[in-house]
Amino acid sequence: MKRATVFSLVREQSVFMTVIMALLNFLAVMSLGIALMIGTGVVRWNAQWDLYATVQVTNSANESKVQKILNENKSQITELREISDTEMVALMRPWISGGGQLKNYLPKMWEVKFKSESDLTNISKNISQYGRVLTHADALSPSTSAGWQMILIATLILAMTLGTIAACVSYIARNTAMLHKHELEILNQVGATDSFIAHQMQIIVTKICIAAGAIGFVAAAPVLMLVLSAAHAARVGLIATLAINGFGWGCLAITPVLITVFAIWMTRRTTLKILQNN
Amino acid sequence: MEEKTIISFANVAAAYDNATEVLTDVSFNISSGTFYFLSGASGAGKTTLLRLIYMLHKPLRGQIKLFGKNTAELSRDDIANLHHKMAIVFQEYSLLSHMTVFDNVALPLRVRGIEEAKVKKLVTKVLDWVGLGKYADVKPMELSGGQQQRVSVARAIIIQPSILLADEPTGNLDDENASRLMELFIQMNKLFGTTIILATHNKKLMETYKFPIINVENHRLNFVGKASTPADSKKVWRGPAPKNYFSELSKQFEDIGNA
Repeated sequence: MKRATVFSLVREQSVFMTVIMALLNFLAVMSLGIALMIGTGVVRWNAQWDLYATVQVTNSANESKVQKILNENKSQITELREISDTEMVALMRPWISGGGQLKNYLPKMWEVKFKSESDLTNISKNISQYGRVLTHADALSPSTSAGWQMILIATLILAMTLGTIAACVSYIARNTAMLHKHELEILNQVGATDSFIAHQMQIIVTKICIAAGAIGFVAAAPVLMLVLSAAHAARVGLIATLAINGFGWGCLAITPVLITVFAIWMTRRTTLKILQNN
Repeated sequence: MEEKTIISFANVAAAYDNATEVLTDVSFNISSGTFYFLSGASGAGKTTLLRLIYMLHKPLRGQIKLFGKNTAELSRDDIANLHHKMAIVFQEYSLLSHMTVFDNVALPLRVRGIEEAKVKKLVTKVLDWVGLGKYADVKPMELSGGQQQRVSVARAIIIQPSILLADEPTGNLDDENASRLMELFIQMNKLFGTTIILATHNKKLMETYKFPIINVENHRLNFVGKASTPADSKKVWRGPAPKNYFSELSKQFEDIGNA
């Protein structure tokens, strides 16, 4: 025989609460998903440029010294490419057009990929006496910083969503207790402990949260995939590196479960508080 | 206080929302195993007295002791544990309309964490015994007033309470079923020493069963008649102490009928 819960939850009431919780689950999965995809993107973006640096020599007297250092450390360098004047002129064209004279003012530049970060540090130290070494990571820091800001915003949305979930669950417990004073009185009469009543309330909230979590995740997952495919369509830049790996999807799948556990705990806390103040 | 005192009131007053006192300076002791009628005009305070005993209402002042324990000093869990030894039957049944008759009667056992197989066995027995076995799966609203009252009684007695409080339990029953219910209460009192306080307006009932009466009048109580315990009275059951509560009772009420 199926064991009935003590609190009767009318259809409209449970549908309303399931819809609200599903929306909050959707928002939580979305905000965590966006934070994860930007986070992964920023990490990948950074990793891509960690070993790259540009060497600039403005004093032509130092060119041979820098060239010598680079030659002596060839075993620590994976790629070495001299940037031609034509390339530099092409890069500067939108801002500078010095005609034939510009050539006289251009620095000597190399793009270098080192084997390891320690190689980059050591060789940069040697070169810095004669020229300027600018790592790609430093040069691209505004993009990275924007990425971290987006993660921060997504995390803030996640925190706000979790706060709303706490308020919502507390409301469900209070609302159920208020609507079911009669049931509470009967439970009191038959010797139910506060713990038993809280457990009954937890059964209701668990049912709502499981349904809402499933709906929220199923709705959020395709939207996240849509965002990822749109980002990959960009092909280059930070946006193109956005991704969610297997671990990330695991985290997203577990989010509704954690929300359910949190809701169960919150229900118990609220119910016991209501009963003690009754 | 006597050793056998199970309910004790000392200068107890009760009011709702700090308005006029419903009961004033109520003091009495009730011994274990006694049977009392509780009478008085409507609104005199009968239900309030029962609610005070059952700890559903807090006294304005005074001291109430149940099983020798001061109720003011009890925690919520202590009260719940004391409720495991007590039961109350209200005139308005207090049944959960969304649950079946079976689940309503099973509720006191389930809150005690009794295993489901035992719950099923006991509930089936007590429902058969009150003549509602075939209604186990229906909702209370589908039953008549008398049948709902019996569900309420079944839920109260399934825990074999030491104290049974009943607020107008025969109010919705015809004479035949009212007297059958009274017989059931009397058997509980005599066989198991259950202390019973039964609120009623029914003068015929009080005249038929000569139990002492607690009369509520002008916010105070007066006791009419001498209380007797099962030890003083002639027992209906003359054999050894029954081991199976429901089978012994059911011998007396096999055909309680379906009012």
